[in-house]
Amino acid sequence: MSGQHPEQLPELVRLAASAAGMEASLSRRGFLLLSACAVTSLAALGLCEALGAGAPLVILDNAQGMILADPSRCVGCQRCELACTEFNDGRAQPSLSRIKIDRALNFGPAGPTGGSTGGSIGGSGMQGLWGNGLVVQGVCRQCPHPVPCATACPEDAIQADPRTGARVVDAKKCVGCRLCQRACPWGMISFDEERQKASKCFLCDGRPKCVEACPAGALRYVPWRDLTREGQTVQTPLAVLSAAKAKACMECHVPARRKPKAR
Amino acid sequence: MAATPGGFSGKVLRVDLSTGKISTEDTVEKYGDVLGGTGLGYRVLWEEVPPGVGSFDPANKLVFATGVLAGTGVPCNGRTAVTTIFPTCWPRQLVGSGHMGGQFAAKLKYAGFDAIIVEGRSERPVWLFIRDARVELRSAAHLWGTGIRRASLEISQEMGADCVVAAIGQAGEQLAPMAIVANSLSHSAGGVGGVMGSKNLKAIGVQGSGAVKIAGDKGEWEKLIKFHLSILGGNNQHVVPSFPTPQSEYYNPGSRWVGEPGRRWGAAEPPVEITGNIFDLNRIAYRTNSAAFFLGEGAWRHTVRGNGCTACPIRCHTVVKVPSVAAKYGIREVAQNTCTGLLFGRSFFKRLPGGMQGQAALEACMVGMHLADDLGVWCNYGQLQRDLQKLYYDGLLKTKLGAAEYASIPWDKYEAGDPAFLFDILPRIGERRGELGQVLSQGTGGLFTHWSIPEETWARDHNTLYWKQGHPKHHANEDDGQCGVIINTQYNRDSQCHSHSNFVRNGLPLAVQKKLAAEVWGSPDAVDGVGNYTPMNVHKARRARWSLVRKELHDSLGLCNWMGPWVASPLKERGYRGDDSLESRFYSLATGQKLDREALDRAGERIFTLHRALTLRGMGEVDLRAQHDLTPHWVFADPSGAAPFSKGAIRMDEADISRGMDQFYEVMGWDRATGAPTMETYARLGLKDVGADLKARKLVPGDPA
Repeated sequence: MSGQHPEQLPELVRLAASAAGMEASLSRRGFLLLSACAVTSLAALGLCEALGAGAPLVILDNAQGMILADPSRCVGCQRCELACTEFNDGRAQPSLSRIKIDRALNFGPAGPTGGSTGGSIGGSGMQGLWGNGLVVQGVCRQCPHPVPCATACPEDAIQADPRTGARVVDAKKCVGCRLCQRACPWGMISFDEERQKASKCFLCDGRPKCVEACPAGALRYVPWRDLTREGQTVQTPLAVLSAAKAKACMECHVPARRKPKAR
Repeated sequence: MAATPGGFSGKVLRVDLSTGKISTEDTVEKYGDVLGGTGLGYRVLWEEVPPGVGSFDPANKLVFATGVLAGTGVPCNGRTAVTTIFPTCWPRQLVGSGHMGGQFAAKLKYAGFDAIIVEGRSERPVWLFIRDARVELRSAAHLWGTGIRRASLEISQEMGADCVVAAIGQAGEQLAPMAIVANSLSHSAGGVGGVMGSKNLKAIGVQGSGAVKIAGDKGEWEKLIKFHLSILGGNNQHVVPSFPTPQSEYYNPGSRWVGEPGRRWGAAEPPVEITGNIFDLNRIAYRTNSAAFFLGEGAWRHTVRGNGCTACPIRCHTVVKVPSVAAKYGIREVAQNTCTGLLFGRSFFKRLPGGMQGQAALEACMVGMHLADDLGVWCNYGQLQRDLQKLYYDGLLKTKLGAAEYASIPWDKYEAGDPAFLFDILPRIGERRGELGQVLSQGTGGLFTHWSIPEETWARDHNTLYWKQGHPKHHANEDDGQCGVIINTQYNRDSQCHSHSNFVRNGLPLAVQKKLAAEVWGSPDAVDGVGNYTPMNVHKARRARWSLVRKELHDSLGLCNWMGPWVASPLKERGYRGDDSLESRFYSLATGQKLDREALDRAGERIFTLHRALTLRGMGEVDLRAQHDLTPHWVFADPSGAAPFSKGAIRMDEADISRGMDQFYEVMGWDRATGAPTMETYARLGLKDVGADLKARKLVPGDPA
């Protein structure tokens, strides 16, 4: 992003940030329909280029399915984490798992510094083993546009799987820069230290191993809905966009004066 | 042995607390032939701790060792064996292991270690920090004097939410032999807490981000894991439900598979109803509810969920929520544990208002867990509580204890079954206050010595359940006739073996058990109906041998012998068969080193024989038959005078047990007269050097004394 127009940087970031939260629940198809303008005017805005070969793919179709987790059934056994990594990667490694139990097991999101561990005594609402017993599973929301991890990837290595719509990391394209890891508000991107590649939930091509592995029926594979407004985030995402990505964003997110008037 | 491409993490961590030196060694190269767990612990003690070293001597070592299958997705792993010279073993301290589940084993493996050998003694209180390859000793000055929960929380604050902490409480710090080390709130290893205290080691905190690699094909691994899940039952591998249902051909009211459709985890928000097919693999976690099994059906409405060790779908540590205890006793309303840990508080009382499954019983359990799992007091499989009952109700205590101290104890609350009594008695024991606290914290043997009570007084009283060497029975004749008796003679603490009882108590009709027994042990006569015993035969001796070998195997692979082995299943279509080769199939796939059932069992036998060798060396006595492998008198008596082998009697016949020991020694390759392994047996198991060492000490049979 240090290219020819460094003075444009804050503006790019501002635009990119303002894009987050806009049209959050719209699929690409919905976006196109709602825009309701002629294909020619879209072409004039450069959207076709954004979607075309060679250009960064910013808008992903919604996923078809997602993993839904019910904390009140979770028994904290981590069988899902182990199925995720053993059956997909041939090793048992919760830190690589694309579903996250380990981090929530003991204290929940408040962590050990979050206050009372007294269950309802003291009433801090701490979760996990040390609190009220509840384990809130971390699952990938397979975000709608703008998909934070995919948008953050400077290599465009996170794409929608054509079969399931899952946002998947293309290991061949991934350069291990970890920007996706910093972009996910729910901390759902894993990093495979051995291969130096990012890894995330890819819904096991439509038959999620974790769902099959849960001994308490706490996980379900269901038709996708937007969960990005639910649950506690675990980090403040880092809003860094590659110049090419930002340019592609701006091709849709144009200043209002350049937009064709609605009606 | 050469390093394997999977299963093992590869390194053993050695921490010398006297010098602060931290080093590592190669697991497989040095300990591959004894696998890990208790095997690794016994090997370290054999090589590095001379006979005669006491539990609290700096020369004693403490070995936290897990195994190949810990940290993987193999169902029912998650175990860590803690092996040392065992403090409650009486009259002479000998080798023994405590075992803990929880998250410790998996985390240690992910950090890159199969085991930790702790040696020496730190000058000041420390705790051991392990974050992957980074290992440090940190000051525990601020933690000394705190309970297990406080220590674990403050270490978690220092390390982060995803660490696991194994800590001792006040009992361990004050060198109580009856002390635990505990991780993950409720998972404890008994008897070894004082050894940590003697080394000034308050806790071990572990964080691990690495992997346990599976050497074999991941598809095959997945298939085998799913197969294993399909042959699981409920807790203790009870393979039929406790309730009649059209879904199952058999049921057995004694089964720990209590999760009947229609029951609810009543304290979950909102409650979780148990629905659907009881065999559904996505419903395994609903089969077991330890609180309901031990405390009656009223416990269902207090159940939040099941909890337990890493990767175990059984969840035997039931999380219960009892709001009344918050107001009444000012303690947390959520608690969890299983079996004797769950019943810690209740077991003190002979009588409770509302009975042993009433509200007072439940509250006593809550108070007991609150105190014991924080102070770090061990119950020695309920012996602590039975000892107090006997001392009090037989009037011994009144004669032994000073009048002022006796009067200071709220016996009225004890007799009335008031759980508040526990707030007096447990801190006395945990903090070793007064003569009673001192004595009870030493364990049963210490009690005999301190008050000059003959061991006979306990060994003749069936109600004490006392077996020998300061410890109680653990699944003996009441569950498994001669097999149970033989197994209970073998260890230097309660035997902790479930291979035998998990089979005979699995709930299947005797005819089905006999069919399976014929396949696994060569004859239907290897098993009797519980309380309907027949005279001893060699098939029972073989089953005793198999049970002990599998126990050591599980303890060395990181598997749970409270669940395994898995030679029966709930599957009618399999004729209720399980799989006797499961452990070796998992071992082979995980490590890439192919071992068949016989070869892996040989490793188990090697490990068990090493335990035998350590016992021989520790006692300096070759005649273990007469001096060690003892059975208490109460086993041979029946309160109503019933004859041995009469229906309903669990009493044994002395001559028959003696014949049983003959047969057992024979199938083990041990000398019949002394019960000591022969040189041939040591050689057959690759323990020639051990045999030679013992021969030099005149501890091999046939040597002139």
